[in-house]
Amino acid sequence: MNERHDGSSIDLEKQLVRYMIQRRLTRRDMLELIGKVGAAAALAPVIAACTSAAGSAAPTNAPTAGQTAGQSPAAAASASASAAASGAPAATPVPQPESELRIYNWTEYLSEDAIPSFKEMINATYGVDINVKTDYFGNLDEAYAKIGNDGGGFDVTFPTGVDVPALLAKGAIVELNKSLIPNIGNLGAEWSDPGYDPGNAHSVPYMWWTTGIAYDRDRIDENLTSSTSLWDPRFAKHIGMLDDWQEVFGMTLIQLGINANTTDTAEIDQAYNRLAEQRPLVRVWDTNTRRMMTSGDVWIGQIWGADLYRIQKRVKKARYYIPEEGGVKGSDTMVVLSGSEHPVAANLFINHMLDAHVAAENTNYIYYMGPNAAAKEFILPEILEDPTLNPDQELVARLQELLDLGPAVRDEYLKRWHQLGR
Amino acid sequence: MTVRPTQPPSIVRRTLSGIALLPGIVWLAMFFIVPLAMMFVVSLGSRGPADSLILDRPSLDNYARALDPVFLPTFWNSIRYSVATTLLCLVIGYPIAYWISRHGGRNKTLLLIIVMLPFWTSYLIRTYAWMTILSDYGVVNSILEALGLTSEPIILLNTDFSVILGMTYGFLPFAILPLYVSIDRLDPALVPAARDLYASGRAAFLHVTLPLTMPGIIAASILTFIPALGDFVTPDLLGGPESTTIAKIIQELFLQGRDWPYGAALGFLVMVVTLGGTLLALGPLRREVAGT
Repeated sequence: MNERHDGSSIDLEKQLVRYMIQRRLTRRDMLELIGKVGAAAALAPVIAACTSAAGSAAPTNAPTAGQTAGQSPAAAASASASAAASGAPAATPVPQPESELRIYNWTEYLSEDAIPSFKEMINATYGVDINVKTDYFGNLDEAYAKIGNDGGGFDVTFPTGVDVPALLAKGAIVELNKSLIPNIGNLGAEWSDPGYDPGNAHSVPYMWWTTGIAYDRDRIDENLTSSTSLWDPRFAKHIGMLDDWQEVFGMTLIQLGINANTTDTAEIDQAYNRLAEQRPLVRVWDTNTRRMMTSGDVWIGQIWGADLYRIQKRVKKARYYIPEEGGVKGSDTMVVLSGSEHPVAANLFINHMLDAHVAAENTNYIYYMGPNAAAKEFILPEILEDPTLNPDQELVARLQELLDLGPAVRDEYLKRWHQLGR
Repeated sequence: MTVRPTQPPSIVRRTLSGIALLPGIVWLAMFFIVPLAMMFVVSLGSRGPADSLILDRPSLDNYARALDPVFLPTFWNSIRYSVATTLLCLVIGYPIAYWISRHGGRNKTLLLIIVMLPFWTSYLIRTYAWMTILSDYGVVNSILEALGLTSEPIILLNTDFSVILGMTYGFLPFAILPLYVSIDRLDPALVPAARDLYASGRAAFLHVTLPLTMPGIIAASILTFIPALGDFVTPDLLGGPESTTIAKIIQELFLQGRDWPYGAALGFLVMVVTLGGTLLALGPLRREVAGT
């Protein structure tokens, strides 16, 4: 009966049309209005969720697999983890490892034998058939994003030493349970109290390396010793540097006789000016040192020491040296994550990796030098004698570690780093 | 013979078409609008201790910081690479599209597929291939030396040249397809008609073909310019230190600087500038389309 010719046979439609006619709205205006209201309605819960999430200090990262339902905020998880770790030994003489362990590691950074030997050891000592799962990452940014504030579902991971303070401040890692890690005594003296983690309270060094300079002896027929060779105009457009502001600034500051971790902006400016001199001579900034050194475009480049092995497969006459002005050393560490559901197993795994035999076998496999003094007698002589992998102790003592300089200082460096990339 | 007035579509049809739109709207909302809104919210925040994210004190400070003149040279890099790439893609793509359309005959589709074929390979692998080709001891230099034209390698890689070459190569299919569509729509009788009216070949092209294919040209420009502006991979792999683009700076702010709000603000700023430029370009396009 109320059928109109415009087809609006529903009361709501009639009202809508009446609304539009009264306000002289065209169909286009109506669509815009609906769009705006709809967008506001859609965004409001999102903004509310974001602000309330920040306010309640819950992790703002996307939920990670395995830890979604029943994920307690980081504080509660770390409390329960350390309670379990420190409570268990007091309650029972032999803390039982859990039945699972989740590891998050670089690719090719653990010997094939490490996990099977760990499982055997756990089975023999505790009678537990532990299931070990490993996930891999290719770069640190991806890894830290996945770890978030609580570990992202993993138990053990291998961050770089310089990042340990930041992870600790975020609440992503917990204190180690030293009672489960007696092998910590195997560490060499120079690694027992690193600057980034006093007393090894939260991390244990895993592998360490140096940053230095590699060059093709075929193209550069000299024995180079100084980092000023990276500024040599004879090698113009055949020089490569790491695409890492801290490493590049670090090497430059050391060359100028300044501490690599300086916070003084005047000194940072000095390094910047030195780097600006170098900029026209540099061919490429790349962290993929193998790619950088093997294409033939770069004759001399800044690399991490352990990469030489792979570079030499293509560039037979590649040589590596640590600049006589001094260099940088760094380490990867093992940590237990705050959201870990298997803290006993995690600590036991770390202890296992510190065992002299296991550590030596690991070094022999991945060709990085470990910090394990007790392991030295089992490491392949060719690694021990290789000055790039295992430099002279006196030289090592002179090397500086790159530290986390904090956001304000980091910004100062980055501002100048960006200016370099003009 | 009666002429029935067209009935407006029934409720059922309207509902069905509404439902048909739903996947597209949901997709756009979930993967475009919501992330964009989240990024905007982040850009209003600030970085807290331990690089945490603080969102409950929104402010426009990061935008003020993002307008820092230190970024202008890198922004200029991004723009000049994108403009060069777009122009080259148009200059190279137009003849190809024209040829396929006019002289492709039965093989038109096959020729188009051949144009698209490199697309089926990963973009990264094609960029790596360029590194091998342009390297000091790569294909080009080896050939030049073998022919005795050079005695020392010419530096081709890690220069502006290699960046623009790589980007043009990567975006060429994006340009060719809209150009092809536009050229193909032209009535083939128009050019002979112009010739009949005593226009020279060049005049016929300039006054008939070109203006009528302008929508295609503008579409191709937009499809090339916008992705090129945000291209981070090609300048990073094929360029040298002086090829840093604004995209790389934003990436560094997020990852190495761990300053998400700052990076988000800079990203948004770049997006607004790009959007503004696009809308400016769309102006003539809308007029053209409305005119035809």
